Amino acid sequence: MNAPETVSHEQAAGLLPWLVNDSLVDKEKETVLEHAQSCVICRRDLDDLEQLRDSIMSASSLKLIPAADMRNVNARIDALIDRQNRGPLLIARLREAFESPWRIAFVAQSVLLVVLAGLLLWPRPRDAEYTTLTQSQYLPPGIYVRVVFSPELTQFELIELLGSLELTIVDGPSNRGVYTLGVAKRMSVEDRDKLIMDLQEDPKVLFAQPVNRGATQ
Amino acid sequence: MPNSIAGKGATEADELALLARVRRGDREAFCELYQRYQPRLYGYLRRQLSDPGTVEEVLDDVMLVVWKDARKFRGDAAVSSWIFGIAYRKAMTAMRTERRYQAPLDRSANADAVAAVSSQHDEWIPVALMHLSPDHRQVVELTYFSGFSYQEIAEIVGCPVNTVKTRMFHARRRLRVLLPALAGQAKEQDRERA
Ligand SMILES: [Zn+2]
Repeated sequence: MNAPETVSHEQAAGLLPWLVNDSLVDKEKETVLEHAQSCVICRRDLDDLEQLRDSIMSASSLKLIPAADMRNVNARIDALIDRQNRGPLLIARLREAFESPWRIAFVAQSVLLVVLAGLLLWPRPRDAEYTTLTQSQYLPPGIYVRVVFSPELTQFELIELLGSLELTIVDGPSNRGVYTLGVAKRMSVEDRDKLIMDLQEDPKVLFAQPVNRGATQ
Repeated sequence: MPNSIAGKGATEADELALLARVRRGDREAFCELYQRYQPRLYGYLRRQLSDPGTVEEVLDDVMLVVWKDARKFRGDAAVSSWIFGIAYRKAMTAMRTERRYQAPLDRSANADAVAAVSSQHDEWIPVALMHLSPDHRQVVELTYFSGFSYQEIAEIVGCPVNTVKTRMFHARRRLRVLLPALAGQAKEQDRERA
């Protein structure tokens, strides 16, 4: 804020709490102090606020703060890095595989076999993806997220991911592998969008999209 | 916690450098940032949340977001405002969850219980703060426990600076009524016991 040379009582009074915690910029501080010298109400307020600050600070010093323990956060970062590294590792292996013509032939043959086996064994989806949408009509009002996870996601990772984002499975997986996840708390639209972004950033999440059922907020 | 503006500049440059290293995946820089913020974040979160286990969990959640989102930091706010902004949002979510699993706070009963313990003015502050709405309480906490300026609080909480000032005004007005009431209640109980 560009503090004017003089301030009104209202302006000065509004800034007093931050004069007391010493966070006003010099110019603001000067003008507020100058006003307080000639204003009985502000001087009395200043005394009150100093007492409040001292009480709060002495109350806060009673709290014991435990030593920093980074084991949990480090483990979570390790898991995150591990997940992120598995993608490039696969690419590196493929690149390695394509270095010799024999390998190319071998890989091409393997891919063909996998595709053929897949075509034969892939279960025909009885219903299309809209099954989940239809079912979601029966869900109580709230914010839900439709998610498709990478097949690489282990059950443990799924539990960990759902736990960390406070999500629960309310429906699915559908024939196309779509899960409908419930949000375990009331959520603003911003929080929901942030959640979707978090999910989309996860390398093990192939697809994430919000589904709103009725009034939320 | 009074802040020196000059000291703040040096700390800010330091923390920007640390965050830039975190963005590049430097675990050592992350460890340093964690060590720096752990006491402040713990103190801040502990005053919002009643369960110490939840406080540690939320603190780790906050720092994990710092690790993941370091590259999203654009420098529009100070590093501390950015980190406390994450902590503020996590704390508000955890508070809502805590409130859902706890019996609703009976404000008068709670005041009675604490009044019986002590009539020291300083010890009234945490009780009185509990009687404020979360929005008002946050502004007082961030000002006097954490030492933030009103502009920084606006960045942390994500509201206009005038809203911060208005919330502080209402919080103070409520505290002015609450503190003498709580202290008076305690004195009366002391007298009855004597
Ligand atoms: Zn005045």
